[in-house]
Amino acid sequence: MPQMILALSTNPVPGTVLTNTVMVGMVALLHVLFATFLIGSSTLVALSEGISMVTHDERHERLARSLVHWWGYVFSTGAAIAIFFVIFVLVGVWGRFFVTFQQFTFWVWFFEALTFIGEIVLLYTLYANWERMRAYRRTRLGMVILLNIDQWFQMFFIDVIASQMLTPTVQGATVNTSYLLQFLNPTNLPLTIHRTIGNIAWAGAIVTITSAFQYLRATRREEAPALASGRREPVRALGAMPEGELVRERNREAAYWDWAGQWGMLFAFGFTIVQVWVGYSYAKEIQLHSLDSWYQMMYGWISNIFLGQFAGIGLIFIFGVAYFWRRLKAAGQTALARRQQVLLVLLILLFLFGLQPAWFAGSYPDIVAAHLDKPFWQGGLEDPLGFFFPWKVIVLIADVLIAIFALTFYLRARVRTPMTMGQASRGSQRLLIALGIVVGLMMLIMGIIRESSRSPYLVNQNITINHQVILQQPAPNLPLNQRPIGP
Amino acid sequence: MTPRDGTETPEAVRPPEGTPRTDLPGDGEAEDGGDFITLVPGPLTGVFRRGWAWLEDRTGITAALHRRLYEAVPKQGGWFYTLGSATLVIILVQFFTGIFLLLDYVPSVTQAYSSLEFLRTNDLFGDWMRGIHLWGAYILMLLIGLHALRTFMSASYKKPRELNWMVGVTLFFLVLAMAITGAMLPWDQASYWTATVVTNIPHYLPIIGNGVRTLWRGGDFVGQITLTRTFALHIWVLPALLVALIGAHLLLLFRHGEFGSWVNYRTTSADPAAEVAERVRRAEPPYPTRGAEPLYSVPRETVDFFPNQLFKDTVVSFVLVIFVFVMGLISGAPLDGPANPATLTYVPTPEWFYLPLDQLLVFFPTQLVGFGVFIIVGIGATVMLLLPFIDRNPERHPIRRPDVLVPAFFLIGTVIYLAMLGVNRLYNL
Repeated sequence: MPQMILALSTNPVPGTVLTNTVMVGMVALLHVLFATFLIGSSTLVALSEGISMVTHDERHERLARSLVHWWGYVFSTGAAIAIFFVIFVLVGVWGRFFVTFQQFTFWVWFFEALTFIGEIVLLYTLYANWERMRAYRRTRLGMVILLNIDQWFQMFFIDVIASQMLTPTVQGATVNTSYLLQFLNPTNLPLTIHRTIGNIAWAGAIVTITSAFQYLRATRREEAPALASGRREPVRALGAMPEGELVRERNREAAYWDWAGQWGMLFAFGFTIVQVWVGYSYAKEIQLHSLDSWYQMMYGWISNIFLGQFAGIGLIFIFGVAYFWRRLKAAGQTALARRQQVLLVLLILLFLFGLQPAWFAGSYPDIVAAHLDKPFWQGGLEDPLGFFFPWKVIVLIADVLIAIFALTFYLRARVRTPMTMGQASRGSQRLLIALGIVVGLMMLIMGIIRESSRSPYLVNQNITINHQVILQQPAPNLPLNQRPIGP
Repeated sequence: MTPRDGTETPEAVRPPEGTPRTDLPGDGEAEDGGDFITLVPGPLTGVFRRGWAWLEDRTGITAALHRRLYEAVPKQGGWFYTLGSATLVIILVQFFTGIFLLLDYVPSVTQAYSSLEFLRTNDLFGDWMRGIHLWGAYILMLLIGLHALRTFMSASYKKPRELNWMVGVTLFFLVLAMAITGAMLPWDQASYWTATVVTNIPHYLPIIGNGVRTLWRGGDFVGQITLTRTFALHIWVLPALLVALIGAHLLLLFRHGEFGSWVNYRTTSADPAAEVAERVRRAEPPYPTRGAEPLYSVPRETVDFFPNQLFKDTVVSFVLVIFVFVMGLISGAPLDGPANPATLTYVPTPEWFYLPLDQLLVFFPTQLVGFGVFIIVGIGATVMLLLPFIDRNPERHPIRRPDVLVPAFFLIGTVIYLAMLGVNRLYNL
């Protein structure tokens, strides 16, 4: 049977490497966006459900219910994409890769599938019976926590595969590798932590985007004067509803969406702070264990995309702190808002400084080949102030510290002075939408960087993209010690 | 406030500091040995009674014991308050096992290793004793970390307990220093290379770095003087400081009483001020805590330290001691080959509690190592030490303290993550 599968899948599907790569990339990234949201949102549901049980806060109960309501649609779509991805795209265009990889990670895939079944059972049960189970809230919460655990392991198993593709435990051998060593491969832990945090940030981003849109809807400009003053009914009325009830209903909705947007934003923003450090450690492990890939990321053509990642981090912090500023200002806390304003200015300056490319070319080897590896003021194409060490590292550290300060100041202001919900400016909600979109883009860019850094390999040092064969010799590139490395 | 017999005592007034309580069982018998005599087997009662009376006459021990045993502690969350006493018990285990190890150990680069070999192979229970000492150190690190975390989360470090927090943090650093100096003593491969790496760290300090390294090493390289100095630090200097600071820690604890956590200070009536005033009026020693805000000066409900809290302390300490003894027997303490400075293949690996610091060294590029190790770690340590003066917000509830909890979670998460990465890296060496 294995031979038959191999025979069936040996021949590449007609098409170019680029077409196949783009197809795999698009479907995979689409799947990632759905799956990661599900995993992250189940954590948010567990949290909100737990909080609402303790504090009887109806907003948390509503948020948990809304997220569970989405699960049905998101999971069915995400699962359909995943099945399409594995059965048609992956097996179709990279058959040899998939079958070979199956051989030495069989049990990982097996348990991955088991957790998928567990997810189906738990998720659909919760989705279909959420209201009915209200009388048994502890059971309901227990099931959500079980779902969290199940999904975490699902992600962990797929991370074993993904990290094994980037930093195989044993170079040049895709078979007979111990499962323990696969689990402990150098980048599995950072990747798993990176994704765990990223999932929650992404789920928070979706919550914040949706809430911001709903808030904007609830406070549309043509109705805003009426809502604010309560002098007259808005344009529309609902049947025999008592006078003023529609306004009150709108105000309640605005208050809820204002709160929900802020709640989601705290996860999107707060967890991104952690991502910087975890991401750095991930890159470091890649450097230590797969120098080829790291070289591609930092010096090769992906380095410019990597710069986009760097810009994304800066934008998330800028949008986040700008939101803090606007929200505090709207709440009348002028002095605290001014403090956020100062932090915002610092973040913008750091962003501009960090955005400088280290060289004005596609990749560093290009300028070395052209003998232009000298500062631009000496006629070269290098910009020393754009180098990762020490400048970008310093920018990242400063970004993180400022973001922590901003978050802390904001939360402290919230705790010490009660904030009335529903008073947020519309501009602050647009900032939330922008923040959420950048978080999503970051996930896509990160995926592209990681998957492209192995090029020309599908499994690093083992299977190439274009020939789909297992190689036993190192990459057909210059030896690492002969490659140009920037200062 | 709930008196021991469960009845209300509205007229109770706090006795002056140091006055023994007169409403406690056995107080009438205090002069002749009190209720402790009941614990002594019949035939020995007379002898013990006379002996105790002699001791009591000269020291006043009964009153002192009564004062400590029957002092009030917060009722809620008692299991969380066992970490401090368990830490003390494990420190005592470390002292006793350390003394036994000293009976065999020779602090010489030529004999240190062979003395431990002798202990391992010829000394009855010698290897077990080493195992207990090592596992005791592991558990001690864990316990003292959890104790600090509990204190931080419950905001027990706030006024008037600032000094006790600072003493506790210093104790934490001392235990870390004890651990690293202890790891350098066996003079096997692991300890030699640990000594090489650790004594090299100070040289990243600007200006004085090389001097500190030379001072510790006793020259440019690790050798006999390094071992002698490290040995002196491990068995004299650090333990002396440890004992002194533990004494100070306990004295301050007796003075202020156990804080507990915010759950012990919640008010339930419509008039919180009156409720707090009533608590203060009926407080039992050592409450109300002097210098604390009225709300946080007396817990809502208290119990006597004996038998309530002491029972919990004993259970936790007993379980941990058994664990340490069992692990010492099963797992023991490793001993590599003798130290060989000429080896090229040995890869030194740090103990688990130093993995975060080690991982930090891996992450920072050469030009930023000094910054990473001394600036970041130094700032972290200073902030930890001075926390009560930085966080002056009187709130104790965690939700109302985001200004310290957000950075702290980030810091704690980072330390745990670095440790996990370090473990993973060890598997991939």
